[in-house]
Amino acid sequence: MATSSDSEKKQVMVIGIDDSEHSVYAINWTLDHFFAKNPSFKLVLVHARPSATSAVGFAGPVYAGAAEVLPIVDSDLKKIAARVLENAKQICIKNNITDVVVEAVEGDPRNVLCEAVEKYHASVLVVGSHGYGALKRAVLGSVSDYCAHHAHCSVMIVKKPKTKH
Amino acid sequence: MEASGGGDVQVSGGAGERRMKMKVMVAIDESELSFHALKWALDNVLNTMATTATPDENIEGGGGGGMVFLVHIEPVFHHAVYPIGSAGAVYYPPSVVEGSVKKAQQEKSVSIVSRALHMCKDKQIKAQSVILNGDPREMICQAVEQMQVDLLIMGSRGLGKIKRTFLGSVSDYCAHHAKAPILIVKPQEEDHKKK
Repeated sequence: MATSSDSEKKQVMVIGIDDSEHSVYAINWTLDHFFAKNPSFKLVLVHARPSATSAVGFAGPVYAGAAEVLPIVDSDLKKIAARVLENAKQICIKNNITDVVVEAVEGDPRNVLCEAVEKYHASVLVVGSHGYGALKRAVLGSVSDYCAHHAHCSVMIVKKPKTKH
Repeated sequence: MEASGGGDVQVSGGAGERRMKMKVMVAIDESELSFHALKWALDNVLNTMATTATPDENIEGGGGGGMVFLVHIEPVFHHAVYPIGSAGAVYYPPSVVEGSVKKAQQEKSVSIVSRALHMCKDKQIKAQSVILNGDPREMICQAVEQMQVDLLIMGSRGLGKIKRTFLGSVSDYCAHHAKAPILIVKPQEEDHKKK
């Protein structure tokens, strides 16, 4: 019946999530299509939490009140992360998926996701995509792009369709 | 074809039969990578769907259970003009050469597609193939849009950034421009170390 050698062991699928609706869409889409019944993948949800210093760094290199702002930004980010993870867990529960690992890691999303792939020996990495155009992509950077090129496993980019035909 | 592919296991659990049938398209060319992608897709993606395909289920518009679309893009044969000779004389290949090149290309396409169809048949997954002409990038994206596929699967050579700029990358273009979720299957380098 099963031809591949490691069919006993489940393959691991990592889904990278952030605060946006695109992520939620990506999780829902993936669960609907891959985990609907008898899932053959083990699921790992990874949230990359930007570190407080990098978030404040955007405001400008020299910011006098940086020291005061950092703890506030940090707790804010922690709250966001908790909310994202909670949301994700809820979606999993709704889909009757119990074999799931949820993790928030601090750092740049690109690296965090690629490292998560290594750590869990994932065979698929799923990311949403903001659908930025070429210009925004160049300025803001694209995590999905980076992952598609650098992750050592297959990458699935789930896009939220903008218009429904 | 034999009845009910895969296993006899009737999976009735889960959230009440909420399985989504997925229209999957796999882009193939002559490279081994795309066949690797197809194989990966057949093993991992379509086996969850294929077991639900009952023999008497009608295929309405290609959406019914465990169905895969294979798309192969034939590059357009340019009427190449070869400059030869120091005087800049040009050589137009005679039409008989064009004809035979076209024919060879068609034969190659057919063999690629039939090999892919064979792979699908081995796994007892229904497959439908489409051969299109033109620029691979655009044609794949167009096919995705027209057929409203749920997932596009492609292989990727894993070229570095620089090579990618020069040689271009079909998977890259499709990742950005295709209207559907895309799964890029990479060649497995460390297949044995994966535990």
